[in-house]
Amino acid sequence: MTAINFDRVLDARGLSCPLPIINARQEITTLEPGQVLKVLATDRGSVKDFQGWAKTAKNISLVSQATEVIDGKEVYVHYVQKIG
Amino acid sequence: MNEMSTTIQNVRSVTPEQLMRELALGEKPFILDVRNEDEFQQWRIEGKDAVETLHIPYFDFLEDPEVNIGKVPKGREITVVCAKGGSSEYVAQLLSERGYQARNLAGGMIAWGNAHQFTEVSMAKEGQPDIVFYQINRFGKGCLSYLIGSAGEAIVVDPSRHIDQYINLANEKGLKIKHVFDTHLHADHISGGAALAERVGATYHIRMADAEGARFPYESLRDGQRFDVGNVTLRVIALETPGHTPGSTTFLINDKFLLTGDTIFVLGAGRPDLGGQAEPWARDLYRTLFEKLAPLPDDVWVLPAHFSSADEQREDGLVTERLGEIRRTNAVMQSRSEEEFIRSVLASLSEQPAIYGKIRKANLGWIQADEDEVTEMELGKNQCAASAIPTGR
Repeated sequence: MTAINFDRVLDARGLSCPLPIINARQEITTLEPGQVLKVLATDRGSVKDFQGWAKTAKNISLVSQATEVIDGKEVYVHYVQKIG
Repeated sequence: MNEMSTTIQNVRSVTPEQLMRELALGEKPFILDVRNEDEFQQWRIEGKDAVETLHIPYFDFLEDPEVNIGKVPKGREITVVCAKGGSSEYVAQLLSERGYQARNLAGGMIAWGNAHQFTEVSMAKEGQPDIVFYQINRFGKGCLSYLIGSAGEAIVVDPSRHIDQYINLANEKGLKIKHVFDTHLHADHISGGAALAERVGATYHIRMADAEGARFPYESLRDGQRFDVGNVTLRVIALETPGHTPGSTTFLINDKFLLTGDTIFVLGAGRPDLGGQAEPWARDLYRTLFEKLAPLPDDVWVLPAHFSSADEQREDGLVTERLGEIRRTNAVMQSRSEEEFIRSVLASLSEQPAIYGKIRKANLGWIQADEDEVTEMELGKNQCAASAIPTGR
């Protein structure tokens, strides 16, 4: 797996929906087009939710998703790029 | 940054039990389901009649609130539903601010799947007023279990993992749980059988044909085995009824009530393929239904471990039917020959959920899972029935 470049990290661990997406939307507004936000979430539902959100939202694209184990806990990682 | 904690306030909420009561009473709540597409397709709120449901994921409301709010009907109460209750609360708030009558399903679909409804099996009191007999309906999953007692003692059949529900009911009725039975090794939900028995000091029973290798103590049931509970007012006879699983057991209570597990339902029968041996088990199921249970009279009440459609529920909330009526109307009971039965049952089978293998292992104590994992494993309605089969093909 190749490493994915990102410009900022949003730690949404411990938050349940809709907070990971609400906070990611807000963070995205502060990025430049082309920049990538890396979101860490522990809510398993966030995987499908980020996919659905990326389909709906016009100004982002979901670059990649991964699962990592951090501090012994499963973490769902979402890379979201600001476009346009 | 954390704007949610300040904006969410005082949205009205409804409990799963209350929503279920409304559906059972024929009220017509309007459901706005805000989960993602996958979750919505997998599992949703169902009731006695078709439930009017609008599906708009919550992130659509975030991206374009005005357009999506415009799709929601005004002038009627909207019940907003999501997976855990957070996103639906957010959307309910959004709607309330714009003058909609919106309420949130507290705890979302997870709470819906875990809620239990207690209905008294009122027929059991005829001539035996001291009998305590409850059908416990975990309606989100379509799972049924039973607590039956008399004179200070009780048995529990097919308890869910929410064992406090049974302990509380027994305490309330002044009953000590002496025996806990599983009709078979369940594949669709985590059994509370062994845990409940351990907690209350009861004996746990399941047939060895299903439970061999289990990592907890149990007594294997024998065909014809009799249990007298509470001064013999309650007589329980175990009958070997293989088919859904090799160790499936049916319990005859006081000659009047037949707790069939997943052997026969009000509509349909238990699918014989969950253990990967569909044809031989379907043959067992045929013999169970048409030979083993044949001597039982038509007026026995069948009380199964599942239902899959609201048509199986009576006006009073009970899922039950007389054996004679089931013999007459249940599609799987209409086959004329063993071969026809096997053909039609096998033809009706859908793919079993991938998680069922893991649930079986958990129910043997082979794997331990934490609350989050168990919740994930148990998501969705049971798929334990061979569907009602149209005959004549």
